[in-house]
Amino acid sequence: MSREDDPRARPTSRLNRRDFLAASGGVAAGAVVASALPSGSAVAAQAKDYPVIDIAALDELAPGTEMAFEYPDVNSPAVLVRLQGAAEGGIGPDNSIVAFSLLCTHKGCPLNYLADRQMLVCPCHWSSFDPAKGGRIIIGQASQSLPQIALKVEGGMVQAHGVEGLIYGRHTNIL
Amino acid sequence: MAKVSLPPKHAERFDTVCQFCIVGCGYKVFKWPEGPKDKDGGAAPADNALGVDYRQQLDADADWISPNMQSVVTNKDGSRHNVTIVPDKACLVNAGMASVRGAGLAQTLYRPDGPTKVRLSKPLLATSADGHEDSSWDETVDLGARIIKAVIDRWGPDAVGMKFFDHGGGGGGFENNWAVGRFFFEGVGTRRCSIHNRPAYNSEVHAAGDAGLTALTNAYVDAELADTIMIVGANPYETQTNYFLAHMVPNLQGVTETLKQSTFGDEPRPPARMIIVDPRRTMTVSAAEAAAGKENVLHLQIEPGTDIPLLNAIARIVLDSRWHDIAFMRERTEWQSFEAYQRASLGVDRPLDEFVDEAAALCGVPASDIRRAAEWIAEPKGRGIRRRSLLHYEKGLIWGLKNYENIAAIVGLALMTGNVGKPGTGCSRLGGHQEGYVRPPYPGGRPALNVDEAVRRGEAKVFWIGGCNPVLTTLRAESIEAALIERGKPVRDALVGSRGQPIGARVAAVVEALKAGGMFVMAQDLYMTKSAEHAHAVLPAAGWGEMNLTSINGERRLRLYQRFMDPPGDATPDWAIMGKFARRLHQLYSEDRNPLMASRFLDYDWKDDEAVFIDARYSFKGDGNDAPEGYAGITYDLLKRLGNNGIQTPVRFVNRVPVGTVRMHEDGKFYTSSGKAKFIPSPRPWPGYAASVARQRESFRFWINNGRVNHVWQTLYHHRHIGFYQDRFPVPILEMHPDDAAELGIAPGDRVEIVNDVGRVEAMAYPTDAVKLGHCFMMFGHPRGSVGDLVSDHVDPMTTIPYYKGAWADITRIGPGAELAANVPLGPRNVAE
Repeated sequence: MSREDDPRARPTSRLNRRDFLAASGGVAAGAVVASALPSGSAVAAQAKDYPVIDIAALDELAPGTEMAFEYPDVNSPAVLVRLQGAAEGGIGPDNSIVAFSLLCTHKGCPLNYLADRQMLVCPCHWSSFDPAKGGRIIIGQASQSLPQIALKVEGGMVQAHGVEGLIYGRHTNIL
Repeated sequence: MAKVSLPPKHAERFDTVCQFCIVGCGYKVFKWPEGPKDKDGGAAPADNALGVDYRQQLDADADWISPNMQSVVTNKDGSRHNVTIVPDKACLVNAGMASVRGAGLAQTLYRPDGPTKVRLSKPLLATSADGHEDSSWDETVDLGARIIKAVIDRWGPDAVGMKFFDHGGGGGGFENNWAVGRFFFEGVGTRRCSIHNRPAYNSEVHAAGDAGLTALTNAYVDAELADTIMIVGANPYETQTNYFLAHMVPNLQGVTETLKQSTFGDEPRPPARMIIVDPRRTMTVSAAEAAAGKENVLHLQIEPGTDIPLLNAIARIVLDSRWHDIAFMRERTEWQSFEAYQRASLGVDRPLDEFVDEAAALCGVPASDIRRAAEWIAEPKGRGIRRRSLLHYEKGLIWGLKNYENIAAIVGLALMTGNVGKPGTGCSRLGGHQEGYVRPPYPGGRPALNVDEAVRRGEAKVFWIGGCNPVLTTLRAESIEAALIERGKPVRDALVGSRGQPIGARVAAVVEALKAGGMFVMAQDLYMTKSAEHAHAVLPAAGWGEMNLTSINGERRLRLYQRFMDPPGDATPDWAIMGKFARRLHQLYSEDRNPLMASRFLDYDWKDDEAVFIDARYSFKGDGNDAPEGYAGITYDLLKRLGNNGIQTPVRFVNRVPVGTVRMHEDGKFYTSSGKAKFIPSPRPWPGYAASVARQRESFRFWINNGRVNHVWQTLYHHRHIGFYQDRFPVPILEMHPDDAAELGIAPGDRVEIVNDVGRVEAMAYPTDAVKLGHCFMMFGHPRGSVGDLVSDHVDPMTTIPYYKGAWADITRIGPGAELAANVPLGPRNVAE
């Protein structure tokens, strides 16, 4: 699922998919209209625009693994991590493998991954993100959740094939 | 594909300041018609309003537009416009940084097709048994004004109670404050007034005022120049974010060396240090350690209510070490007051070690740390040159055990060490909301009347709530809600029963209900808040961006927050609402042949925002004796030209040119009759807990400290409607020590119940070692659980300020977390590694 559509095309799209799911269970439900749900066609369009790249062989990724890569192009650092348990949007064993942009959505500093805490932390102004919870902000001044890289397994390889959310420093993810 | 629209070169541009915290970061607004994509800006620098090359990946610190910085708004004429709101690099306050709150300003804007469509857009009257019905301004104002008049005439002006904002920023500002003040103080003439977050109409820093100090003494640049910054009862990473990140952190990192050198010449420049007094190990502590090195940060993790012995012990060590600034004290303070302060507050008749050890035991911190704090604040830094120490405080002191003595203690320390009115020093609130106070004098005295009690006891016949939500934020909050419901019911019945009858009969029915113990409630707000739900008349106010407003920030920086969009429906600025009621009351009293009362509601025909601003401006003279907010000689036009750097108040005329004030008291003058500052002695170095507080403390196991969190503003009035924010804190969190949680069988994210003799509330357990064993910290003012339900009605008798931080309660597990909180991160909120 995605928060990929042009925000202006969907009037209420400020609530991304994750936000929508959380909000619709709670007090903000009345504020959300059903049309906020991304349509299937939008997801399909997303898949078409993004490159599909191999990141690593699935069986090489032991729990605790952290692997740097770039996506969707070489100017966009990203990290793939295998967490100790299930993660939102995760794939592989226990749905524990996730990947995120490494650029803080505050001012664009590259994040550090703290494996023992399972957190991504910015060394500039200390925003921190939870990779098990879709890159949501734990605390900090970041302007949005950390963009999550959509993963899939194809022929034993973990592949990146899309991004949820806008990568820092871009007006569109594919420049 | 995630994408933002780039503002075109021809986009309309507006300067504004964030509507939220006291820091008041500057923002740039771009607005252009929604239309075909090719009318948007292009990625090449020549093709967009920011002049940035968006064809390539931007470097860190660049002008990136996050999706949360954009929205689409609809003008009254139905035209739709893109709006982009980005932090202003040229603003000295934030230097291009947004906080998590400011980055989402665009999301708070009204849009009829988005989550903010729930904004109030029409006046509402409680004329149906099960809720409100749309009304018109004419009908609502006529009814409300007639009832107010009837109440004044029958019961006197004090029967009209109010609880209103007095702040700057969103919803406030000089314009709205002036209109509210004139209406209630000059017009109605009631003393039953209270300020948005508390039961009375009173300063939160009376002791500073009595000492002659202003609440906001320093400039933000002083945090770049200080040798030591002390922060008592505040958490600026979360709640004064860019003051901390853009001014304090660079100093702690040593990157303001050049500025120090150019300002102070060859004065020694030791590494900057920070002292943080907070029962929690907050993100402020972790971030300060990361910036300055652990050796330059001292965290005093005190027990509740022990600020006074701590601050007095530090002052006593300074005194006995002869580090006090005798020249400053002789020249700028009333010396007799220092003698009284030494004896009463600093216990000079007792041995130093005994005094400090007693404080250490009370505070739960090592005596050696107290001594170190004294050294860091006052030990000369070499060649006999005094350290420059900047002392800051906020709600930990203000809402602490004894408001008056707390503030007196930190002011005393600042005066003794000469840390007021010089570069790199100060003794100031960090602040919560922005300021913009200008009103005629409040007709009541000191200590101020407790309006909450008047509401509960039935002494208020009208209760007008403006831009605040006491059902969530006041003390003993449940009892206020109960009073609104119980005493509101007869009035609601009267309104429903008299539906369709002539206005005279309706007012008569309401007056009968008031005689029978009823209360007529009006609420003026942006949204249908928990308090507004109980109102008989709901008045839709315009918000930030929908009117021009002016405010000052934590360094008294006055700026114009430009209007760039229309308010929803019939919503209109607070000043205009007050004007409607005043004009109607003037007519009613004129018809009643009561010229005296009619004259009290004269001259409310302001034609626009600036007319109110100028009307209020006549409160100031510009002669150097104005209140700290003084803005003599300032016009909107001048503020437009000054942009987001504005001018620092008070403004005085020099050769007929308005000149600002970088820091207060630099001229050695204080706001006392002698012009010198005063030490305020406390009766004892440690007042102890009031009896009712002590009883609660003995009866319940956990201290329920409480306060704000980084992500959301106040009662979440905007943020509860916006997924990005609501999603982080859909329910209030309760930080508790992991060992305490384990002992009670509470897992992270569990629903817990918190109960004491005042009330009961639910929260989500958030175990963290940021709090000590036996301590908890609950998020304040959340619509799904208000810590105010646990806070007793104890107030400092000197000031009528509550001990909001002083609740003790028991905690039990209810069960697993609520489904709507299933995706909430539960990681530590204080990691800066």
